[in-house]
Amino acid sequence: MTNADDLRMIRESAAGIAPRTSDLKRIRALRFTEPGFDRTVWREMCEMGWLGLLVPEDQGGSGLGVQAFCALTEELGAALIPEPLIAAAMAARLLPSDMLPDVMAGDRIVLPAWQEKPLSLDLADGGTMFAGGRVTGKKVFVPMAAGADAFLVTVPGGLALVERGAAGVHLECQTTQDGGNSGTLTLDNAHAVWIDGDASAALETACMATSAYLLGVMDRVFGITMEYLKTREQFGRKIGSFQALQHRSADLKIQVSLARATVNAAAKTQDESGDSALRKAAVSRAKARASDAASIVTRGCIQLHGGIGYTDAADPGLFLRKMMVLAPAYGSAAVHRARFRDLAPVGDED
Amino acid sequence: MDDLSDEAFRLVVRAWVVANYPPEIRNPLKRLHWNECKSWYFKLAEKGWLCPGWPVEYGGMGLSPGKQLIMLDEFERHGCARTIDQGVLMVGPLLIAHGTDEQRAFFLPKVLSGEHIWCQGYSEPNAGSDLASLRTLAERDGDDYVINGQKIWTSMAMDANWIYVLARTDRQAKKQEGIGFFLVPMDTPGITVRPLMTLDLNEEFAETFFDNVRVPASALVGQPNRGWSMAKALLGFERIFVGSPKQSAYALARLRDLAERMGISEDGSFLKVFNRHRLDVEDLTDLYGVYVEQVQRGEIPGPDVSMLKVFQTELYQRIGETMLDVAGEHGGMLEPMEGNRALNPAGLFLQSRPSTIYSGTNEIQRNILSKNVLELPG
Repeated sequence: MTNADDLRMIRESAAGIAPRTSDLKRIRALRFTEPGFDRTVWREMCEMGWLGLLVPEDQGGSGLGVQAFCALTEELGAALIPEPLIAAAMAARLLPSDMLPDVMAGDRIVLPAWQEKPLSLDLADGGTMFAGGRVTGKKVFVPMAAGADAFLVTVPGGLALVERGAAGVHLECQTTQDGGNSGTLTLDNAHAVWIDGDASAALETACMATSAYLLGVMDRVFGITMEYLKTREQFGRKIGSFQALQHRSADLKIQVSLARATVNAAAKTQDESGDSALRKAAVSRAKARASDAASIVTRGCIQLHGGIGYTDAADPGLFLRKMMVLAPAYGSAAVHRARFRDLAPVGDED
Repeated sequence: MDDLSDEAFRLVVRAWVVANYPPEIRNPLKRLHWNECKSWYFKLAEKGWLCPGWPVEYGGMGLSPGKQLIMLDEFERHGCARTIDQGVLMVGPLLIAHGTDEQRAFFLPKVLSGEHIWCQGYSEPNAGSDLASLRTLAERDGDDYVINGQKIWTSMAMDANWIYVLARTDRQAKKQEGIGFFLVPMDTPGITVRPLMTLDLNEEFAETFFDNVRVPASALVGQPNRGWSMAKALLGFERIFVGSPKQSAYALARLRDLAERMGISEDGSFLKVFNRHRLDVEDLTDLYGVYVEQVQRGEIPGPDVSMLKVFQTELYQRIGETMLDVAGEHGGMLEPMEGNRALNPAGLFLQSRPSTIYSGTNEIQRNILSKNVLELPG
């Protein structure tokens, strides 16, 4: 259970590392570098207890819920934080207690490698198999993989932990539009440690947390843009006084508000409902809306900025590029709309 | 060439382009710099096809606007790169209309030879949509002018050795009436160029700073306070190019490539979206044809040509957005898929973003349409 005070405290605690007013200098400096984030900041984030937010208290975590985690990732999104908290938190809750201490301290980064093809939410398509302490197969789109020490690989019936440097582990990283990276992990009879578990629930939470991150992204860039409309002058007037821009702005505000309402409601459903189909449908609604709205809002904010919005030096572009990476991550809007349709067929409501 | 029928002319152009265009720069992903596109520039110059619109006496082809469009169409069809064409498209026509004999004799041959590479100094940080409010100042000092100010969006400023500049020559006059048009060498002391990285991480543009840049009075084209009307007239029938269906048609072809690569090109839901885009491209092509015919009749399109710009650029963006939908996670990658330039969803999406901003934002275009075409009050 999470109450309003907890959520407020979490948001406030985020301000130290992810301030809403940051000038994004650190974010710019880390772009297009390897691993694309800062391990010192990562340790600070771990010290703040963020990685363990969802880990039960008896395993050294805070045992908080999805609403709490989403409140945090929304703040991370508003500050465009590149450290891979969502992915690492997905892995952390699946690791057995004895493997947790150095992970929770931030000394060792374990990232999940679950996806086998684009536009998919399938955890183990059978393309990656574990047998006799060895794992073989291929996983794609591992976020910020360049900074991982080990990978938690989903396989039919469970999980396999693979050290990055082990024989038979081949990692290829592609640079992403936001300046981070995405890994393709090829495993060829690689040594692996079997871990019992099912990543399904952790994947749902990652979808939710990414929706909230995108909410932070769109909310912040929208705020920056409204400020710009109030200061920029053309034709002797503040450009925000032009009706064409006012209507565009109102439309974007509607998208941000829809996304906020949907993400908050879906997060609450995760914490309060025991109905698996209902929970998943809520996740899909949230991610579909957040992905779409983030695209509409970031594109709209570039347009409202005019020419300067098309420079790399202006901040709206950073938000647009983050959207390009995260809108399709953990299921695009189309993927989640299709899943919603399957989970909540028309005529199935009360 | 003007005696040939349109169809015969088209075939002549096509055959020559296929035989002479440098294959290594077909369908470039980004605007090419001088060292990359000069081979094509020199080919055109050598053939005498560099300046189709200039009169023959100045080294042009004296081609009718209709045939110029056919030529461009064929260049686009083959995937020819845009050259650094400001001398050809802007400076030449300006001097032919308003320059002195000395200016024409000095500058025109150097455009034709590729010795002078031009860039445009129009926009300023505080004069974008409202260009006439520009503040760069050109003050008379004896036989010279001294220019101070800052320009932005100077395309290819790093490659250019000359710049044409709009600067205020009279601070008292109404804003459109106190502007002069100057021709300035880029190596004049006081000029600094700072590259401007765009959203697609390309350095096509720059900011250009003028700090006490001294130029002789002969750098002025026409009358000191008549620069604005000359600059505006130059836009003439070129405005129609922004509404050409080429960008959207190119994007549509790439969307098809991408859908095939992603294995969804026969999916019903994809085909629905694709067909909508396809019809939009076809219909735009018809609307574009209406304006091409106008140009072929020798008429200059009116303000209604803004319709082309609005529809084309927004269609281009919609196709770019569909590409991201189709590409899924691949749409978040910095490089084209599998190193294949035809599979570049993120690049195309990003490049489509400024199209609704440049050449007058679509908001400004809609204002033009409602005010000057629909004659709505206000």
